[in-house]
Amino acid sequence: MNSINEKPSYQVVDPPEGYSSPGFFATTLDKAVGLARKNSIWPLPFATSCCGIEFMATMGAHYDLGRFGAERLSFSPRQADLLMVMGTIAKKMAPVVQQVYEQMAEPRWVLAVGACASSGGIFDTYSVLQGIDKVVPVDVYVPGCPPRPEQIIEGFMKIQELVAHESLRRRYSPEYIALLKSYGIQLDNKYTHGL
Amino acid sequence: MDYNTLTEHLKEQFGAAILEIDPTADIFTMVVESDQIKPIIAFLKEQEHFDFLTDLCGIHYPDQPKELGVIYHLHHLKERKRIRIKAFVSKDHPYIDSIVPLFLAANWMERETYDFYGIQFLGHPNLKRILNVEYLDYFPMRKEYPLEDDTRTDKDDRFFGR
Amino acid sequence: MNNTTKHKKASKTKIHVDQAPYNTLNLGPTHPATHGVFQNILKMDGEIIVDAEQTIGYIHRAFEKIAERRPYYQITPLTDRLNYCSSPLNNIGWHIAVEKLLGVETNKRIDYMRIIVMELARISDHLICNSVTGVDSGALTGFVYVFQEREKIYEIYEEMCGARMTTNLGRVGGFDRDFSPTAIKKLRELLTHLPKVLEEFETLLLRNRIFMDRTIGVGPMSAERALNYGFTGPLLRAAGVDYDVRVHEPYSSYNDFDFIVPVGQHGDTYDRFCVRQTEMWESIKLIKNALENMPEGKFNTEVPAFYLPPKEEVYSKMEPLINHFKLIMGEIDVPQKEVYSAVEGANGELGFYVVADGGRTPYRLHFRRPCFVYYQAYPEMIKGSNISDAILTMSSINIIAGELDA
Repeated sequence: MNSINEKPSYQVVDPPEGYSSPGFFATTLDKAVGLARKNSIWPLPFATSCCGIEFMATMGAHYDLGRFGAERLSFSPRQADLLMVMGTIAKKMAPVVQQVYEQMAEPRWVLAVGACASSGGIFDTYSVLQGIDKVVPVDVYVPGCPPRPEQIIEGFMKIQELVAHESLRRRYSPEYIALLKSYGIQLDNKYTHGL
Repeated sequence: MDYNTLTEHLKEQFGAAILEIDPTADIFTMVVESDQIKPIIAFLKEQEHFDFLTDLCGIHYPDQPKELGVIYHLHHLKERKRIRIKAFVSKDHPYIDSIVPLFLAANWMERETYDFYGIQFLGHPNLKRILNVEYLDYFPMRKEYPLEDDTRTDKDDRFFGR
Repeated sequence: MNNTTKHKKASKTKIHVDQAPYNTLNLGPTHPATHGVFQNILKMDGEIIVDAEQTIGYIHRAFEKIAERRPYYQITPLTDRLNYCSSPLNNIGWHIAVEKLLGVETNKRIDYMRIIVMELARISDHLICNSVTGVDSGALTGFVYVFQEREKIYEIYEEMCGARMTTNLGRVGGFDRDFSPTAIKKLRELLTHLPKVLEEFETLLLRNRIFMDRTIGVGPMSAERALNYGFTGPLLRAAGVDYDVRVHEPYSSYNDFDFIVPVGQHGDTYDRFCVRQTEMWESIKLIKNALENMPEGKFNTEVPAFYLPPKEEVYSKMEPLINHFKLIMGEIDVPQKEVYSAVEGANGELGFYVVADGGRTPYRLHFRRPCFVYYQAYPEMIKGSNISDAILTMSSINIIAGELDA
């Protein structure tokens, strides 16, 4: 254990690629936007069962998810960026997940936490949806039953990587529109009109 | 209150409706006629003071003539004694009286039994499915239905030993 | 001086009043205040709730149907996921039920070890419930303090069985290993540290005037109605009836210990909070007594047809390996009996009704879940109150969705 007088060693985070000189730093817009977005993700904790309690432990002081910028949990999908589905989704609940996903504004990401959200988990029964990727497109899957808080944080960091490197035009691309159409989610903006 | 006097009282009150009594099981168990279930439970509640309904569940024995059963667990809180009552109905005529007027706890328990086995409780205030989706058209806990959903596409039964 | 004569004349515009007298408000299934997924549809007269109807089943995982397919050992992970805030309690309750079925007696050491684990689970669950009651009334600090203590309890579980939350702890007839010295050290540290944290938590909420104003008289339930509705656990004790399965039908040597069963008067939210708080203090005392008076003995019972052989032998010799495999895959038979066994869960009487037909899996397994039974009474508890009181009642009755739907 370091004594209290030793300075702790920090790792300085590298800035994105760009050209810097005294007084300014020039980079491309999507890198700057990605940097800003990834450190201020507002998650929507869609906690249904046991994984929800592990999420509560992750938000607690010991494993603090707030230091990644996710301090402000939004329970309203209109104000959230990341839908964290934690816990078993039954077939009765599946339309609710899709409804919540549809209400989120672009850009939005989905993190499936736990074995039940990823693939149905240990519940291969008539009443459990075998993975939420049957109703919403998922970006990162975190396996585990329940996953340890460190694993949930790693899943969150992978989402941060996705957020940082995302192209600003992705949400209007035909592939993305076709992906959402395959889930029955119709996007309605000037880019998708008529598709 | 001891079980022998209870047996005598029940036999003199209800006679032929008590089909079978098993005092050697872990708790005193009796099998009764399903059309006399409400008077029997009312007698146990009012006269013998079994005033707590612990549990109500269903069961399905496909080999018996009367396949579906309802199992009640009552509890005498003062004397710390329990009793188990079983009543069987047939699959074509799955009707039994509801004991919601006696014990309000039976409300959701009977809905759950209806949801899983299809036993209709006559006189229940709100008998509809409680745990499964409303559009489910079969009663899943009956022995003839499988556990897994047959329409699922991602799991190959060969690898799961089914 | 203002000239306000213009405003003294009544407005001439006609206001159309909605014909239906009551509004309908949908609370759930996803709502920041519902602790789990269940839906309440409230019929409201302005701000006052007139009636409510619940829809549950949003996390129905068909445990009872799964259990008909699984051998007895493979059902323990299912019981974890019933009341996932206090998983070891469910596991030990299930093992006690199977022991009743097989007719196995456990020695005192196993009983005392089980008492320690069950009381830890009870403390863990009550900590969540009480702190979340605080959160729903606006007090977030207690929640964050208390979760740090739950991390310590998770570390103790990890030391005993390897998992933090869904523990799958113990075996039929005892445990798979004795408490290691690390576990006992962590237990002793917890016993010195937890009382201070609980006292600090109490200074935040217990005699806090705002909290008392918000919770006294909210969500009341009288003792007769509670008995009729099948209430058990802290809710029934807050209503005034001292029914505790640990005292009524002692299991696992609880009758060796002397503990208070706290009882309230009005059955409102404040009484439930106080009952849970007192139960936590009693649990700490129980753990301390059990740890100090732990007798010597084996940590498992010789149930030859059922007891898993020790891991060292499984990994090195042939017969224990085959035996282990056969037990887990359920090749060993049980007598043809049925049994109802109840333990005092954190929410009330958690009962297991097992019908065994001699095969490797139970013929029928029914969980008597306390949450399912007492949630029926929720409309009666909130009739005539505001939404904020309804939310507070819901958090104080500690509905765990896994236990509600099973």
